[in-house]
Amino acid sequence: MEALANNFQVLFQGLALGSIYALVALGFVLIIRATNVVNFAQGDFAMLGAYMMVACLVGAGLPYWLSFLLALIGMGVFGILFNYGVYFPLRHRGFLPVLISTLGASIFLQNTVLAIFGAQPKRLDNVIQGGVQIGSVFLDSQYLVILAVTMLMVAFQYFFFEHTLVGKKLQATSQDKDMARLLGIPVALMIAVTFIYSAVLGGLAGVLVGPVLFVSIGMGSIIALKAFAATIIGGFGDVKGAIVGGIFIGVVESFAAYYISVPYKDAYAFMMLFLVLVFRPQGFFGEKVSEKA
Amino acid sequence: MRSQESSRTTLSPSRRLSAWLLVLIPAAAAVPLIPYATEVSHFAVSMFMQTVTYAIAVLGMVVVLGYAGQINLAQAAFFGFGAYGVALGTVSYGLPFWVSFAMGIGVAAIAGGILGLTTLRLGGHYLAMITISFQQIFDLVAVNWIALTHGPDGIAGIPRPSLFSYELSDDRAYLLLCTLVLYGLIALVWWLPQTRLGRAMRGVRENELAAEVIGVHTLRVKVTAFILCATLGGIGGGLYAGGFAYISPDNFNFTRAVEFLSMVLLGGAQSPFGAVLGTTLLILLPEWLKEMPPSLQFIKDVYLAIYGLAVILIMVFMPEGLWGLLRNGWKKLRSPVPVDTTSIPKLELDIPVTDATPLLKLEGMQKFFGGLRAVDGIDLEVGRGTVHALIGPNGSGKTTMLNVVNGIYKPTGGRIIIDGQDVSQKAPHERAGHGLGRTFQNIRLFPAMSALENVIVGAQRDNNPIEPGRPALRMRAMSALQFVGLADKADAIVRSLPYGHQRLVEIARALAGHPKLLLLDEPAAGLNQTEKMELVELLRRLRSGHGLTIFLIDHDMGLVEKISDRITVLNFGKKIAEGAPQEVLRHPEVIAAYLGEEPANGVA
Amino acid sequence: MRMYLLCALATGVATSLIGLSAVAADPIRIGLVSEITGPNAEAGSYTINGAKLAAEEINKKGGILGQRVELVIEDNQSTNPGTVLAISKLGGRKDIPAIIGPIRSTQTQAASPTIAKLGIPTMIGGSDPSLTRVNNRWLFRCRPNDLYSSRVIADFGANSLKLKKWAVVHSTDAFGSGGSKALLDALTAYGVEPVLVQGYTNNSQDFTPVVLAIKKSGADIIGSYMTTSQDLGIFAKQLRQLGVNATWVGSASIVTDTAMKLAGDALHGTYGVADFNPDANEEATAFSKMYRAKYKLEPDVYSSWAFDAMNVIATALNSAKDTKPESIRGAIVGLKNWKGVEGIYNFDEQGDGLRGYNIVKNDNGKLVFVKHINFEK
Repeated sequence: MEALANNFQVLFQGLALGSIYALVALGFVLIIRATNVVNFAQGDFAMLGAYMMVACLVGAGLPYWLSFLLALIGMGVFGILFNYGVYFPLRHRGFLPVLISTLGASIFLQNTVLAIFGAQPKRLDNVIQGGVQIGSVFLDSQYLVILAVTMLMVAFQYFFFEHTLVGKKLQATSQDKDMARLLGIPVALMIAVTFIYSAVLGGLAGVLVGPVLFVSIGMGSIIALKAFAATIIGGFGDVKGAIVGGIFIGVVESFAAYYISVPYKDAYAFMMLFLVLVFRPQGFFGEKVSEKA
Repeated sequence: MRSQESSRTTLSPSRRLSAWLLVLIPAAAAVPLIPYATEVSHFAVSMFMQTVTYAIAVLGMVVVLGYAGQINLAQAAFFGFGAYGVALGTVSYGLPFWVSFAMGIGVAAIAGGILGLTTLRLGGHYLAMITISFQQIFDLVAVNWIALTHGPDGIAGIPRPSLFSYELSDDRAYLLLCTLVLYGLIALVWWLPQTRLGRAMRGVRENELAAEVIGVHTLRVKVTAFILCATLGGIGGGLYAGGFAYISPDNFNFTRAVEFLSMVLLGGAQSPFGAVLGTTLLILLPEWLKEMPPSLQFIKDVYLAIYGLAVILIMVFMPEGLWGLLRNGWKKLRSPVPVDTTSIPKLELDIPVTDATPLLKLEGMQKFFGGLRAVDGIDLEVGRGTVHALIGPNGSGKTTMLNVVNGIYKPTGGRIIIDGQDVSQKAPHERAGHGLGRTFQNIRLFPAMSALENVIVGAQRDNNPIEPGRPALRMRAMSALQFVGLADKADAIVRSLPYGHQRLVEIARALAGHPKLLLLDEPAAGLNQTEKMELVELLRRLRSGHGLTIFLIDHDMGLVEKISDRITVLNFGKKIAEGAPQEVLRHPEVIAAYLGEEPANGVA
Repeated sequence: MRMYLLCALATGVATSLIGLSAVAADPIRIGLVSEITGPNAEAGSYTINGAKLAAEEINKKGGILGQRVELVIEDNQSTNPGTVLAISKLGGRKDIPAIIGPIRSTQTQAASPTIAKLGIPTMIGGSDPSLTRVNNRWLFRCRPNDLYSSRVIADFGANSLKLKKWAVVHSTDAFGSGGSKALLDALTAYGVEPVLVQGYTNNSQDFTPVVLAIKKSGADIIGSYMTTSQDLGIFAKQLRQLGVNATWVGSASIVTDTAMKLAGDALHGTYGVADFNPDANEEATAFSKMYRAKYKLEPDVYSSWAFDAMNVIATALNSAKDTKPESIRGAIVGLKNWKGVEGIYNFDEQGDGLRGYNIVKNDNGKLVFVKHINFEK
């Protein structure tokens, strides 16, 4: 009974952290699909979102929901800036220059936030205080919120991409830019929209995870690496894969830490990634890609 | 790395020691002697030592990223292997410095080779991620496997080596040694692009598929690039460990790997000089920012933010790095040297027609993509010394068939026999080595390399029956360019040539490999009428009495009719007709296929 | 009477003249290596606060050797190589008689050979015992080392609280693994064999496996060496959420201002060793008053150790009468029962100044001084 409860607890934590990886991974995937570029600053979107929340809630003393809204709007605006500052000038130049440019953006963001907010980590309170106690298992309310919001976002994303015109235009853009352009879809605008959306998504992840991991400059980096691993494990550029991959990593590392070794916790995600890349490089859901002559 | 930001390096003889190098060399020689001439602070010596050892690792990035176009975000790990080799060897196991040094480099090289092997199946983002994972695991092991690595405490008391019984415990002497090693390696990396291997690397960077098809063992080239890169990283790390006498895992983490990457990009990934420039600047930049006058003191707090911003700006405004900027500026001042086209020998293309067996034979060849039967059981024979055309409507499987013959796709079933040898399971570069040449429908050249370099890569395929050595390769390539009428454009960067000329360069590249069988995928596509006429003339010259066999696809029926001996027609992956041009082109089923009608007896 | 007044006046004028000349002359520059950037910039800012406050106070009292004292601050970017460069940069200036070095053990270890080569007396705060055992004559530790913190934790838990089922939780970095090793040794001296020793890497996002292991072990007391306040906060919250109510005696990081803010009520009722507590002695109380007034922050170990380090340097320089390294070393080792805010300093030949710790309790978010445990050796 005790063992079962413990396993359940470990599973719950893994699912919750995995959801965060999945949320950040979703942002990754959207940008990959739209621009074929990996955004190494995706984790810092989460960090930035969390700090915006801190600024509104703690700094300006605004009510929770208003702060939440303002932080997400702020992230949307930031997404536009990021699109035009980091991606747009390099859009014709292959993936590597953009990748490096996003690395630069990551360094810039972390240190700018450090200069503004200082190095002390900040505390954010749970959306709902407390949690649910089932026997010896405790489900933290924030983790429950994270799980719920992730599911909501996944549903929203599905609806948005499959059943709205903008979503379909976005999809067309990600599949074939030239064709989309011929069909009169404003490709540049669609890409900007993608950046806005994934910045908001990243910010949302940050706001949600702030109460459990605290808000600190480096909070995004490790999440981003795991999320990126999730993107690849799930299948590069595959939305379903990002979600399953994120949750998979969260659960596996949680159990591996419990059963094998805690200090190597961060290594499990990368080892899995290594294995997947060697034995199934297209990931769980990806299609095998071969270059056409 | 895409072609657009690649170098404009040419192999012209003018790339020799020029006047400015004569200034640079004594200046470079004087630098490590400064500490002997005047008193230099410990801090300055530390910075210098850091710059020199980092620069060696960054040279590795030039090889792997600049030349071979493969991303590596694990250079800090290779640097770490070298450093831990020295530290553990000397401190933990009491081995001599140079033995430990060699072991560290050896481990780095092996790890580099393994990482390089993963490129067999993965490139681009995957490679970025796999190198990051490798880097992270290195870091975690260095921190957590305390019994071996001493964990985060690091390893202190690393001794300095002696060289020919001369103790290098003096900072200045050790620094001099490191600088000399750096200079030697710069020369090596500078010389590399002009070698067979270096050209192959750049070919892989510019267009990996084309490189493979014209005979470059691309996997071996990439693995070699990674091994070289890791080795350079290991050398840098080993010297670093000796220089600072203390190492710990945070010298070798992901941040450092990103730093190495930024250094090579800032300086210019295409050149070893750029690497050194970038390393020096990025090590000095934070110090300069910190030394700002009081009115600018705020910069002190944000200098890392500025550094991040600088990385973005460099990517946007200086794609070739600072060195590329300098070199391009300098090139504009220099007038190009005209190419001497007088003493080029005629292109030797003859293939003795020894017997009557077909040169190319396909037996029941199939290629399926999932449920799609792109090529569905084709039997085909191409006679020696003939021109055989493959035609058919769009999507009938022509290019797929060429790709299977070529080895880009593995056949789902059936056999491919070239000159009596079953090549069905061979890689494209092996088939090229067997005398198979090819051009592509959408031209696949190495855009940032000169026409001559492009063609030399074609000439350097295995078993090419020419004299060994660089002069013969060059001659062969010049002859091929002469044959297509572009010898005077030998030094031009391919990207800058008009479309029609690019086609011809591609044909010259295939011819330089002295093929038995030449595959041409829509050679007339995109050409204007004059260019088409020239192409027909060229193809005629090719077939006249050389014994070369040509297998081609084209949509221009006039062209096909003019030059082909035999035509095969494909539709929906099946052969629907075959024979002499006149009869095939009048075959009702062929006409129906082209006009989009069902054959008369078909189901409507 | 008149005579006396005249004398007083003359002395006053003389003093102010000296003061004036002190202002005019070159100040005494003391180096400070601390984190301005990087993950530890938080603690670094407190260290700088503490040292600055001390320098101000010293200047108010007439400076060092009659001259103003000025801090030269170098960023070490929170890294080992950064620390080495920062130290050698300070050393290269030639006008710095003493340095306040890093508080982190790995950084000290990295910089130790450089400091030995430079021969500049350097105050260090790293608590890894081995730092002062490597034949470096120029390192002086202004904090008790981990042998003492672990002995104090063991003594308090096993002797004062009489708890015997120990779980030891530690970060796998140098500080954490060194501290846990010392704690295990100290516990052995009290005949205690821990029921669990559990390491984790810094910046873990989830401590559930650690908490479950503690739960399973049935420990009634936790001794911890944790490095970052985020980790401490997450661990504390999850520990209490999963219903582990064991007593917790932590190393100094458990009583830092940031950790207490982050973890909130999850840390209530825990004990920590503190080099520094405002109520531990008069000096500490006075320092706390000044610090709060100036920075609107609670003083902590990062600020107090730097405050002491700066004052040790000033006192030593003043009694050495010159700025030669050997004289400064002599003066530091010569300090007898010098009262700092962290306790009573007696430097031994190896450079260790303090031998005791305060035990404090987190009483609903307020730190309450419990006792000072001091060892003679």
